[in-house]
Amino acid sequence: MRAVPGDIVGQMLGQTGSDRSAEAALRGFFGLDRPLWRQFLDWLWATLHGDLGRSWYRGSAVAGMVWDAFLVTAELALATLLLATLIGVPLGVLAGIVRGSRLDAAIQGVNLVGLSAPVFWLGLMLLVGASQLLDWSPPFAWSGPTEDFGENLANLVLPVVSLAMLQAAAYSQFVRGLMVEQLGRDYIRAARAKGMPPFDIYFRHALANVMIPLVTFMGLILVQILGGVVVIESLFSLPGLGRLILTGIQGRDYPVVQGALFFVVVIATTVNLGVDLLYGLLDPRLKP
Amino acid sequence: MTEFDIPRRAALALVLAGISAPHLAEAQQASIDPLLYGPTDPNAKRGGKLTIGSLVEPPALDPFRQAADARVRVSVLMYQGLFYEDPTGVARPLLAEGATPGADGKSWTFRLRRGVKFHTGAAMTSADVKYSYDFMRNAANGSPGAGDLSSVASIEAPDDHTVVFHLVRPNAALPMTLTNKYGAVVPKGFLDDAQSGPRMNEISVGTGPFKLRQFRPNSTLVLERFADYWQPGLPYLDEVTFVTMPNSAAMVVGLQSRRVDLAMFSRPQDTQALANAPGVEVHRWPSLGQKSLDLDCKFGPLTDVRVRQAIALAIDKKVVMDAAVVGYGTVIGTMVAGMQQGWGVPLDQLANQKPDLDRARALLRAAGHANGVDIELTTIIGYDWMEPAALTIAEQLKRVDIRVTIRKLELGVWIRNFRAKEMGFTFNDWGTTPDPGLLYYRHFRAAPEGADFRNWNNARASALLDRGQETADPAQRRESYAAFQQLLAEEVPTIMLFSADLLTANRTRLKNYVQHGTGWYFGLAKAWVEG
Repeated sequence: MRAVPGDIVGQMLGQTGSDRSAEAALRGFFGLDRPLWRQFLDWLWATLHGDLGRSWYRGSAVAGMVWDAFLVTAELALATLLLATLIGVPLGVLAGIVRGSRLDAAIQGVNLVGLSAPVFWLGLMLLVGASQLLDWSPPFAWSGPTEDFGENLANLVLPVVSLAMLQAAAYSQFVRGLMVEQLGRDYIRAARAKGMPPFDIYFRHALANVMIPLVTFMGLILVQILGGVVVIESLFSLPGLGRLILTGIQGRDYPVVQGALFFVVVIATTVNLGVDLLYGLLDPRLKP
Repeated sequence: MTEFDIPRRAALALVLAGISAPHLAEAQQASIDPLLYGPTDPNAKRGGKLTIGSLVEPPALDPFRQAADARVRVSVLMYQGLFYEDPTGVARPLLAEGATPGADGKSWTFRLRRGVKFHTGAAMTSADVKYSYDFMRNAANGSPGAGDLSSVASIEAPDDHTVVFHLVRPNAALPMTLTNKYGAVVPKGFLDDAQSGPRMNEISVGTGPFKLRQFRPNSTLVLERFADYWQPGLPYLDEVTFVTMPNSAAMVVGLQSRRVDLAMFSRPQDTQALANAPGVEVHRWPSLGQKSLDLDCKFGPLTDVRVRQAIALAIDKKVVMDAAVVGYGTVIGTMVAGMQQGWGVPLDQLANQKPDLDRARALLRAAGHANGVDIELTTIIGYDWMEPAALTIAEQLKRVDIRVTIRKLELGVWIRNFRAKEMGFTFNDWGTTPDPGLLYYRHFRAAPEGADFRNWNNARASALLDRGQETADPAQRRESYAAFQQLLAEEVPTIMLFSADLLTANRTRLKNYVQHGTGWYFGLAKAWVEG
C-alpha cells in the first residue's frame, strides 16, 4: 500500500495548501517523515506489545475500531454460514440420494444459478425487489444486536441472503459429491444387503462420513466469507471489517489498514486451527 | 430591528477611502440577519428527527485540519466562523455583528455578537476568536485554510467583543475568507492538545445550531439540537442523522421506503426513478461548483499555448455536459454558474469558447503538430460524470487529430499528482466559497503567494489577482477579475466546462430545506418536519 502514490497529508489538504510548511507539519505529526523501515519496525514493536496504534483520521484506538468492525462482520459471517448450511447441506444430501433424477437436475440447476450470480448483483436485485414489491428497505444506519435487535435483523437480512445463496450452492454441490462417493462405497452396499433402513444408511452412515470433509469445507467457507465481505458490506453500508479496510486504504489510514489486516490473519489462522481441532472430535482416530 | 448598523464616523472614513455603500452593506449588517442560513418559514414548527442519506462520509470532523468537502458539508452545522457565505456572494455577519475596514484597507475591525455560547457551555469572547484564527493561519498547525489568511499580519483583541485583523496588504475578501469552509471559532486553548483533532470526532466545541452526539465510522453521524444556540428558536429539528449510503440505488430505495428523508444525488439519471414516487419531491439547485479540464502548462505538448487553445476550440461544452449529466447544468466560461451574474464575463466576450475546428487545426500546425498530438486524459475513479465526459471529449478532439488515451486514477493518486503539480491533462471537480478571490487566487496565483497548481506562472494573471484582492472598490474588483478571466480564457490553463445542478430529493414532510450552492447542509438550520 505504501507503494501507491499519495498519503493522508495530501488527502487532508486536498486542492489547497500552497504553504509547504503545513504539509511538512502534518507529515511530521503522522511520522511520515521517518524512513519506511523505521515506521514499520515501530509499528511491529508496538503491535508485539499489544498496541495497534490509533487511527490517523478518527484518533480512536485501532484495536477498538477493528473489534467493533469484527463484531459486525462476524455476525454477518456466522448468520451466512448458518443459513447456507441449513439450505445447502439438506439440498446436497437430497441431490446425492436421488442422483440422476429430475430432482437432482433441478437442484444442480439452482446451484448453478447460485454459483453464477455475482453477489453484488444479487444484493442489488434483492434491495430493489424488496423496495418495489414490499415497500421495504433496510435502515442502513447500523444498530448492534444489543442496541436494537429488530433494526439489527433488518440490516442483516438482505446481505445474509445474498451471501448465503452463493455459499449454499457451493455447499450443496460439495455435499452432493461427497454423498455420491459415500453411497457407492462397499460398506453402504453391505448395509443395504443387510436390509438396513434407508434413513439409517443415509444419515447414520453416509452423512457421518461426510462430516470431516464438510467441517473442513465450512472452515474454508468461513474464511472465504470473512475475506470477501467487503463487497456486500459496501453494498449494504455495513460497518464491518471489509469496509474498514477499504476506507482505510482509500484514506491512506495506514494504522487502521495494518491493524485490521493483522487481525484478519489472526482470525483466519484461528479458524483453521479450530477446524483441525474439530477433526479430533469428529473422528477419534485422528486424535494424537 | 435595524438592518444596517454603520457608525457615522466609520462610514465617513470608508467613503473617504473609496469604499462604496453596497460593499459596506455586505459587511456591516448588524443584529441577526433574517437571511442567515436561507429564508425563514413563518409556519415552521419545532421538533422531529431527520435522516439524511449521503454517499460520502467525512473522514474526520476537524474543521482546522481536514479539507475534505464531505467534512465541510456537515461541520458547518456545528462550527461557525465570523461570517456566513450567502450563495449570492454576500458575506453576512454570523459570529461577527458588523465589520469596519480601516481607512488604508490594511485592517478590519469586527464587533462580535454577544450572547454566543460554545457547545461546552462557555461564552464566546474575542480571546476565543483571536486564538482560533491565529491557530488557523499558522501553517505549522497544518491547516488547509492557512493560505487564505496569508494577508493577515496579526490579530488583536482590544476588548471582549472586538477583534482587529491587521493585514500586510489590503484584502477586500477578508469577511468572505472568515466564513465556514476552514477553521471556526472554538474555545481558547482547545487546540493546544495534540489530540484535539481526533477529539472533535467525539465532541463538538463550536457555536453552531447542532452539536455532535455520535460519529460511527462507516455508518452514521448523529447531530442534536443545541439548546443554547444564539439564533432564537433555531434550529427546529431535534436530531439529524446522516447515514452513509452505499450507492444511489440505495438512496432511491431509502427515500421510497421512508427510511431516508433527504438525499443529494450526483447524477440526474438517479433521480428519474423518483420522479413519480409518492411522497417524494426532487429539486434542482444552482451550484457554486464546476466540472473542468485542467491543463498542466509544463506537460508535454501542453507547454505550447497554441495546443491548449486548439483543445479548447475543439470542445463543445454543451455536448459534453449533455453526455455527463444529461443536461442538468449550465455551460460556463470562466466563472461558476452561481457567481456568473455577479462576477462572470459573458461567454461571448471570452476567447476560445465556441468550437472552431479549422482554427484548432491551424493552431496545431503552427505549433508543429501537423500530424496531430497524442495525449493522455486522466479521470478519477468514483466520479461517474467523468467517464461519459472523457469519451465525448476524446471523440471531439479526434476531429482535429488530437488522439486521447483515457486513464483512470484512484482519488488519492490524483490528489498526489495535483498537489505535486504533475496533473498532466485531467478532469477536475471543485467548488468555491462565493468570492472570485477565493475561487482563483490559490489555484492560479504564481508561487509563493498562490499554489499555481497548473504551472501557469503568469505574471499578468498574478498581478490582476493581487489587485482584485487588494482593491476594496467593487467596480475595480470586477474590472480586475474580468481582465483575469479574459486572460484565463485566452491562455487556457483550465477549461471550465459546466456547473452541474445540485440535485436533492426529499420526503414531502421535510419543509423549508434550501440547498446551498456549495453543497453544504446550511439549510438544515432552518428546515423543519411536518407531523
